[in-house]
Parts: sequence; C-alpha cells; structure tokens
Amino acid sequence: MQPTRVLQALRYRRLRLTTKDVNKGFYKGTRTGSMGRHTKHGGYIIDWNKVRTYVCPSLEGFKLTPFVTRNMPRTFGRYETKLGPKDPEMYLARWKAENGLD
Amino acid sequence: MASAAIRPSLGAFGRISSAAAATTAPRSLVSTTQTASLSTTTSLLKRHKYPGARDNKDYSKHRGESAIRRTGTRWRLSMSDEPLPKPVPREQLPPIETDPDHGLWEFFANRKTVANAPEEDAKYGRSWSVEELRHKSWDDLHRLWWVCVKERNRIATANWERNKSKLGFGEAEALARDREVRATMRAIKHALTERFYTWEDAVKLAENDPEVNLTGDGPAFTPRDYLEEGEATAAEGEQQQQVAEAAEAAEETAVKAQPAPPVTPDPAMIPASQPQAEAPRL
Repeated sequence: MQPTRVLQALRYRRLRLTTKDVNKGFYKGTRTGSMGRHTKHGGYIIDWNKVRTYVCPSLEGFKLTPFVTRNMPRTFGRYETKLGPKDPEMYLARWKAENGLD
Repeated sequence: MASAAIRPSLGAFGRISSAAAATTAPRSLVSTTQTASLSTTTSLLKRHKYPGARDNKDYSKHRGESAIRRTGTRWRLSMSDEPLPKPVPREQLPPIETDPDHGLWEFFANRKTVANAPEEDAKYGRSWSVEELRHKSWDDLHRLWWVCVKERNRIATANWERNKSKLGFGEAEALARDREVRATMRAIKHALTERFYTWEDAVKLAENDPEVNLTGDGPAFTPRDYLEEGEATAAEGEQQQQVAEAAEAAEETAVKAQPAPPVTPDPAMIPASQPQAEAPRL
C-alpha cells in the first residue's frame, strides 16, 4: 500500500510507514494473511480452511536441478509475432495441433 | 530433633514436659488423667485477642539461628549427602541409532558434514532461463520448484551451522548460490504467469473461433479441413519421425529448448492417436 499524499511529502518521504504515522485502525500486517478470526473475548479461532498447506509432489526419479550447466549458453526463443511467447493465436494453434482435448 | 523445627518457645514447653515426666515417674501412675504438666495444644496457647492487640507474628526470620552453635537454617535445605552418579564416558555409550531414510537428512548436503566447504558450495551452474522453462510441463515446473526449495533449505541450514559453530568463511559462496536458485524460481513463476495470461487470451480468442466449442457439450474442437487418405499417412510417418527425434534430443540434454512451434500448424498434420512424448508447452 501507499501512504497518503501528505505523508509522502517532506519529512515522511524517506521513512517507512508505521502504525504511529496514521490514525487508529491501520493494520500494517506482515503480508501473510490471516489464519482465522478474533473473538470478542480476545481469543482467536483458527480456521483450518485458511491455514496454508503446501503440496510437494513426489520427486522420485526427477532429474532436474536448480542449475543448468554453464557449458550450455542461455537459450532465447525465436518468435515471429510481436507478442512472442504471449501470442494467444499461437497458443490456440498448439492446442488444436495437440488435438484439442483439454 | 523434632522440636527444633517448630518454634523455640514450643520446644521449650516440650523440654519442660519431658523433664517433668522423667522426674515424676511414680506420680504419673497415681494421676492418669493428665500426662503433660502444661497444655501444648496451640488453640489453648493462643492469646486472647482484643481489639487493637498486637499480632502474634514472629517478625524475626532468623530467630534461633546461630553460627556459633551451628544450628543451621530454620528451613530444610535441599541438599543431601548421597553420592552423585558419575557420567559415563562418551566412548562407552552405545552408538545412537538414527533412521537412515529420515526426511530431515535432506536438509544437509551430505551425511558427514553439517555444512559444505566453500569450494563445494561454489560449484554450481547458471540458473534456468525463462525460455528453457517455457517448454516444460506444469508437473515438471512444480517439481523443479520444490527441488529449488529444498536446495534453499540446504543452503540455509549450512548458513545457520556456519554461524553457530563459527566455521569461518563460506557465506559469500552460499549467498551467490542462493541467488542463482532464486533466479530459477523467479523464472518458473515468470513462465507460469505468462502461460496463464496467454491461456486467458486464448480463451477469449476461442470464443469467436467456429472450430472451438466452449460450452462443454460435445467435442471441444472440430477441425474444419481434412487431408486426403494417402497424404495423411505420408504426413503421419514424417511427423512421427520428427517427434521421435525431438524426444531423443530432449532427453539427451534435458535442458535443450525445443524449437519454437510454427505459428499456424496444420491441425491435420498431427494424427489423432499421436502420443506427445513430452508435451512442450508454449
């Protein structure tokens, strides 16, 4: 988010926005999202549908590594249209060429 | 001595009563109703409380303690004179058994050392380029992402061990390696985002395509133009050869980018039952 124009000017320009720079009700957060909700008594109820789960696929027999050998120079694609790899016509043509099942 | 634990004044009463009992042993036979010369119950000893009376508390916490008479403290000490057990030397202990297939082993580069030497850490290639990843399937990219995550975990564990054990140099190599892994992860996200946006645009394009049926009823794709029988079989053989060659080349290098697909391939060139070796995505 961005602070208001007043705060962007002058002395606040090079300082990060903290909860003390603005009125109450400002929640800075940690960009992580909530995992439940607060109760009116001060407790917290975890909503398990909001709790993050990470699915790691089976890596059995997977040979790729995060690195590519330096013996191979970086490859660059050659595309004939201006949009390049983002050309939807080419995507559709490929889809049709692969028989358009999915 | 039991009376030393309670208040000294009560102890004094006990001594008086026991002394009286010892000296007047024959008289105790006569009077059996009273065994102690004084009542030692606390309720009777308690003074009558009138309004404004002083409380009966003992304000001297160390009353009766004396270093000269070696009384000790008034509270019981938590010490004992039992002999302490001696630790067994490490060599005599049985070896610790660990699970060789435990998942936590993957946080280390190898099982002998906690952190790689800087020379080992510096041995890494370049990151994947986006163009190379454009030709990978979703499953491959998903798995490559997790391979990158594991590599970063390994680097972070080594960093932590290096700091903890003060192993010395190696931070710069680890950081450079980490940067290269993150470049690969960035390329994966780039490729997937680009693929998704292109798919969105292609769906919009397909809405106006007479060959494509997006309603979900019937076949999604109905090609308009067909080839003749003889032409199709010839083209089929040619195409199969090309695909087989491409698959071989892809397996050899595993990173070699496949040539960019033609802009408008003839749909009839690829037969219906043609299995794609590794479906190169856009």
